[in-house]
Amino acid sequence: MELKMTTLPPPHGGALVNRIVTDPEVGKKIAAKADAVYDIKPTLYKDMPVRNVYREIMSICYGFFSPVEGSMTSAELESLLEKRRLLSGWVFPYPMLFDISEEDHKKLGVTSGDTLLLRLKGQPFAILDIEEVYEISPGEVATRTFGTPEHNPEVVKVPFDFKHPGFTIYSAFNPIILAGKYRIINEPKLRKPFDRFWYPPAKSREEFKKRGWTTVIAHQTRNVPHTGHEALLRNAAFIGDVKPCDGIVVNCIVGAKRIGDYPDEAIVEAHEMVNLAGYVSPNRHLVTLTLWDMRYGNPIESLLHGIIRQNMGISYHMFGRDHAALGPYYDMYAAQILWEKGIPSFGLDAPPYAVPQGLYMRPQNMAEFWYCPHCGEVTYSENCTHKDELQRYSGSFIRSLLAEGVFPPPVIMRREVYQVVVKWWKEFGYPFNNKRYLTEREKELEIDLAPMDIPKFK
Amino acid sequence: MNYLAVLLDAKRLSDIKGSPLEGKVTDMFGGAIKALIMEVPDEQTNKIIEGLPGARLDARFFIEEAPIAFKRALFEKIKTMKSIGKEVIDAVLADLPKIKELAAKESEALPVPDIDISEALGLQKKAA
Repeated sequence: MELKMTTLPPPHGGALVNRIVTDPEVGKKIAAKADAVYDIKPTLYKDMPVRNVYREIMSICYGFFSPVEGSMTSAELESLLEKRRLLSGWVFPYPMLFDISEEDHKKLGVTSGDTLLLRLKGQPFAILDIEEVYEISPGEVATRTFGTPEHNPEVVKVPFDFKHPGFTIYSAFNPIILAGKYRIINEPKLRKPFDRFWYPPAKSREEFKKRGWTTVIAHQTRNVPHTGHEALLRNAAFIGDVKPCDGIVVNCIVGAKRIGDYPDEAIVEAHEMVNLAGYVSPNRHLVTLTLWDMRYGNPIESLLHGIIRQNMGISYHMFGRDHAALGPYYDMYAAQILWEKGIPSFGLDAPPYAVPQGLYMRPQNMAEFWYCPHCGEVTYSENCTHKDELQRYSGSFIRSLLAEGVFPPPVIMRREVYQVVVKWWKEFGYPFNNKRYLTEREKELEIDLAPMDIPKFK
Repeated sequence: MNYLAVLLDAKRLSDIKGSPLEGKVTDMFGGAIKALIMEVPDEQTNKIIEGLPGARLDARFFIEEAPIAFKRALFEKIKTMKSIGKEVIDAVLADLPKIKELAAKESEALPVPDIDISEALGLQKKAA
């Protein structure tokens, strides 16, 4: 019996997708041959940006979402919504679609076989080789993506509505879908501070090899870490092979978020501070990011997280209660149910690692960490029996502490981590996302593009 | 009866040191967080909830999510009046128009805590 893991897991689908044209001259030539040009627009709901398809294009072309290579065809969309499978048979959770309005479609006049140049921030960014043009009913896609209590009774508790950000995103899609593969033809530069956390799968795998890591565990986050998060990632990392995991990778989801969340800049730097301040050695802890507008799809989102992180070379994934969840829609343990026994109504009659063309990712389903004054430490809920004394971590309680300017005690948040929150508070004038921040961020985005002159599309 | 928790950091604790308020401090998180817990009659509760956007009564009958301007004004009155009685809340409610004005600006900006962040900046610089 071989217990030791000597290699990183294979990419989902067998090979990493890489659809980046790195030579700007080649990119220019490709762009010049396009049939039409389209300026990417954010998806809006009540005038607020809730998604930008550019983040999907980035994550697809850099291989985070391997084996997906572009915007899905109608047949692929149907396969995905019906059984969470791509046409190739590989498991995949979410529709990836390039949507435009009927008006824009008329203006562009493109059809299958055409090449569309996609511009971002006024510069050529990517190419979409159109294979099919079709129409969707956004509301139907939204409902089928997240499920209903009738069709998915194992995990869906109440019907989704517009209070749910993911449901809102898909419902706000334009009805015309241009399906086809993307190519990024103008290689972007990540803006500060995101640049130092940019580890696309090929790069993260190189980094793991350089560090000698073969057992790596992923920590999903959209939050500034409190000591409960830190306890979770440290303890979950005791899994491994013949010793605990070599590496702990914090993968921050960066994209449009809700009002009241922490700014992404504070999230990535606050996690990094956990290792800079020595609470988890930087030799063992790596902070990274993925560009994605959170759908808050709990079990469905956990499947995407598994795929992203397996593509990055990670073998284990910690899943807690209410993983990537919001509101009462899913069972609070829905992600753990998926990873323990599967969710047949979503096409997975066994856990994702036990179905054909599933994932190599091994789940580490964790219960809860709380602070127990009796134990005098942050403790695991399955160990501590002092139920009358425990103090649960609460994000809203901590946020209200911070908003009041009350210095959070070390038992809740490391002082250096709090200093990072204050650093970005100084920058944005507010400790959490507000309308102004979200609107400004959507203009700046997370990348810069070099000027690329395409006379045909001036 | 409803309640309001007024959180106390080191500065606020030092502000009430030596006053009768010191004996009324309650421990949270095993003593890591200190708070003054105020009793709020229904009539005052309604005035707070109706008068301040976002304020609500939670399942523990604590008034939560009130604007920060309200919480800061509340602590200032507690400090000057050296009390956590209902008269303190009346005094704060008397300033409600001003508090509402400040609260309206809160969605755009909140005063940055006056703390030294050089330790974190130094660690970032060293790692760069």
